[in-house]
Amino acid sequence: MKNGISILLSRIATPTRVGPRDFIIVAVLAAIAFAVPYFAGTYQQEVGFRILQLGALAAAWNIAAGYTGLVSLGSAAFFGIGVYTMAIASNAGLPIALCVVLAAGVAGLFALIVSPALFRLRGLYFTVGTLALAEAMRIFVVNSPWFGGQAGIYLTARAPKAYDLYWIALLIAVFVVVCVLLLLRSRWSYRMQAVRDDEDVASQLGVRTYRTKLWAFGLSGALIAIVGSIQALNQGIVQPNGGFGMSWTIDIVSVAIIGGMGTKVGPWVGAVFIVLLGEFLIQFPEIHLAVVGVVLVLVIRFMPNGIWGTLTLALQKNRNFS
Amino acid sequence: MNSIDPVGLANTVLGGALLGGLIALSAVGLSLVLGVMKLVNLMHGQIVVLGAYAAFYLAAFWGISPLLALPIVFVLGFAFTAPVQHFILAPVAKHGEEAGLLTTFALAIILENLFIRFFSGDSRSLDTAFSRETLAIGPINLPTIYLIGFAISLTVCLAVWMLVTRTSFGRSLRASSEDPISAAIVGIHVSRVRWGTFALNGGLASMGGVLIALCFSFTPSSGSEYLLTAFAIIVLGGLGNIMGTFVGGIALGVIQSLGAYFFGDGYRTFVGLVMLIILLAIAPNGILKRRRSL
Amino acid sequence: MHLSTRRRRLAGGLAFITATALALTGCSPIGADGGTSDSSEPIRIGATIPLSGTLAGFGSFLQWGYQHAVDEVNAAGGIMIDGTAREVELTLVDDKSDPNEVTSSIKTLISSTKVDALLGSCTPDLVNPGAVVADSQGVPFVAECTPIEVFKSVKEWTYAWDIFFSVADQAVAPFEALEANGIETNKQVFILHDNGPDGQAIGNEIWPVVAAEQGYTVAGNIEFPADNTDFSAAIQKAKESGADIVLISSITPAAISIRKQMAAIGWTPKVIVAEKGAEPVQFAEALGDLADGIIVGAYWDPSFGYPGAEELKDAFESETGLTSSQHIADSYTAAMVLMDAIAAAGSLDKDEINDAIGETDGIYAVGPVKFDDEHAAKIPVVSSQWQDGVPIIVWPTEQATGDFLFPVP
Repeated sequence: MKNGISILLSRIATPTRVGPRDFIIVAVLAAIAFAVPYFAGTYQQEVGFRILQLGALAAAWNIAAGYTGLVSLGSAAFFGIGVYTMAIASNAGLPIALCVVLAAGVAGLFALIVSPALFRLRGLYFTVGTLALAEAMRIFVVNSPWFGGQAGIYLTARAPKAYDLYWIALLIAVFVVVCVLLLLRSRWSYRMQAVRDDEDVASQLGVRTYRTKLWAFGLSGALIAIVGSIQALNQGIVQPNGGFGMSWTIDIVSVAIIGGMGTKVGPWVGAVFIVLLGEFLIQFPEIHLAVVGVVLVLVIRFMPNGIWGTLTLALQKNRNFS
Repeated sequence: MNSIDPVGLANTVLGGALLGGLIALSAVGLSLVLGVMKLVNLMHGQIVVLGAYAAFYLAAFWGISPLLALPIVFVLGFAFTAPVQHFILAPVAKHGEEAGLLTTFALAIILENLFIRFFSGDSRSLDTAFSRETLAIGPINLPTIYLIGFAISLTVCLAVWMLVTRTSFGRSLRASSEDPISAAIVGIHVSRVRWGTFALNGGLASMGGVLIALCFSFTPSSGSEYLLTAFAIIVLGGLGNIMGTFVGGIALGVIQSLGAYFFGDGYRTFVGLVMLIILLAIAPNGILKRRRSL
Repeated sequence: MHLSTRRRRLAGGLAFITATALALTGCSPIGADGGTSDSSEPIRIGATIPLSGTLAGFGSFLQWGYQHAVDEVNAAGGIMIDGTAREVELTLVDDKSDPNEVTSSIKTLISSTKVDALLGSCTPDLVNPGAVVADSQGVPFVAECTPIEVFKSVKEWTYAWDIFFSVADQAVAPFEALEANGIETNKQVFILHDNGPDGQAIGNEIWPVVAAEQGYTVAGNIEFPADNTDFSAAIQKAKESGADIVLISSITPAAISIRKQMAAIGWTPKVIVAEKGAEPVQFAEALGDLADGIIVGAYWDPSFGYPGAEELKDAFESETGLTSSQHIADSYTAAMVLMDAIAAAGSLDKDEINDAIGETDGIYAVGPVKFDDEHAAKIPVVSSQWQDGVPIIVWPTEQATGDFLFPVP
């Protein structure tokens, strides 16, 4: 399976060097972000929450799509699993931290169950399969008698304050980043990128492609579910059309593409861009999503590596010239 | 309460078959685009919705009956999608398959929001004199509109099949699909063929939208459902196989109706989607390798 | 060697960051701050409404009702707060019919717009998430457009209030209407309902009980998801059951599809009741004469003679050129109840406003409003029937504006 985006990506993303410097940068940024609620008001904390939420989602999605070539449009399924696991488990009286872990576990299990069917699909067909999967999950939750139907579930846990939510989101965002960095440092990253660039060749070279894909897809899904579990706390009431809504998939894909697929920083750049664009366009709700769509079309055409990818490529070129 | 009544079941199955054949019209073009252009067209559902709106406004302003409007809708769909391919999709083709897929994804978002902006979020439906009539065959009652839609869909599918198998455009199309590089060497304008295929798909999908809107209500957000149904149909029927798509539509219609009959209408789409995933999975090596002649 | 120095430097950096972080934890983060009490500032009221997405049909009516109430109050000089008259500023945000958007937009309205009070969106799907946020952040929230049982079932409310009809009343109304108009049927009902919060309540719990009480038999009961579009299997079963009466509870697109597909298989039940979905004008517009004879619960008509009702309808129709809907009355009323409470409180203190809402007792455009212990104000239900594209009140008899059309043509 040749595909152009991957070829382009491999130029900038293959053997991404991850050194201690990266961890230090993350730690410094996290410390600064940690301090935000001490000098910024509730509104800024909420905007911060949304940026961290979307950034973490896109970074998690990137593990499968950007590094392993598993472009999924089924993120809403994993997100919804996180949302509902939190609602059900926290109402059952489990501590929040355990609910979050449980959400990741259920999502990982789900990835394991659907992988035999999904992984037979290559490239574009995988994408279509995941889209169908997410929609099937939404319809199943709407219909089944166990999850409160369309009415959804009210969370009895006390609603967290804006800064609590912000810090939880920050913690999760840091966790996702560390996962990504550790993954990129490990041997897995080579296997993943081999699978992305050419699955058949990778297999001939002795990479266990199925297992590599399962790890990437499962980890990506579990991390998405963790972020989803926090959305349940944020809302206080969960419903199928909210938790399993296509809007999550749209947001994740937009953020990742605009920021730059297959880059470490891209998802966070994209998240800042999308959230600020949304705040900027709040006066024009009717054109908000259409504008996002137009930006997407333009980015894919003129900056296929996203904002961050284009920036780094330009910098590299400059360095080579000088 | 849930005892199986043979007449009711027969009614359901026949109704499902007719409806599936009718919906197949909205899937034929998707199959061509996938086969010839290797493009997963995620804005397909929105083109279907666009066709429904075109017929709706043709009827509202000029009193044109939706069935008579079909040729006009085809032309409108064709005229709308041709520039999309030329100005938006063709330039990104060099970035690879995913770039095209994600571009159509973005276009789907744009279109859906433009529909909401200009046509409001209200649900609409199309009406004709036949919409309310039924045809009784013994104890079985079938909606006349299903039969008419089925016949139109069959006719158009046959016409497309003729176009692809019997004309020079069809030969170029098949050649471009099999091996675009060799096709270009023997003098086929591959880019023009792609352009024609995408616009043809636009026209066909728009007409499919009219038929669907005659049977159901539709909203600006109906597109994603139509897209997935169309995918299920072409996977059932075999990629790029035109009459196969028609048969796939019938098969999906029957399967969904049976699912709805036994589990409830809510599971109709669910049964279809699960079918789609299973089929995608059991088709050897994914369906990509099953490149049948067109 | 080199590596270990690096490691040490890394550890040092981390220790520094941790120390800073720990130092910061000594202070406290900035939480929700109180509203401004500067008397030049307007009184801020906010709401999310569905202007796009599947529920957009309701949004424009709510938008008009809220805005009209606020304009009226401002034209009369605003509201007296601590002895100074202040203008009311209304901020409406599109929630795209998406519950996630409701949550984040309500949070933004509270934290960024710094609203003093909130009004609701429409349908439980969009009202409940907003009410949950407002309730947990202590901002008074007056909603309508959500049946009171559904609203009450979510939680014990402190700051959220609901003015609407009761599903139980709505469920009884069609039976009462049949009885009062002397309609003879085979007394068999078939229930088709969606699995939305109100659909489940009415279809699974209330209708079966009410039917039995009124001497009717339930010939079948089918549940479907709210956004379903194909009902042929369900309709087939309903037809086979031989019931004369079909009771439907669904959103509008589903109600339209159900009626069309009944016609498509050539079946016309003698009585069709389509709660919720058949209520907006777009239902009748989409169906044309197929809408004739369909009964739907209603709660307002200008003819009821509540204060300001006729004027409200006339203002809507002359300003927009559209046919009025009862949603202008309940949204207008909700905004008026809230602004009356702010005036009664004479302060922008959220608790004082909230207490004043609880003490509401008056007759508004939609009818009498008085909240019960569970924060719900019940407005009475009537039965209306679509006839030639116009809803005709057919029950209670003393409020009837026309004759009962039977059977469904």
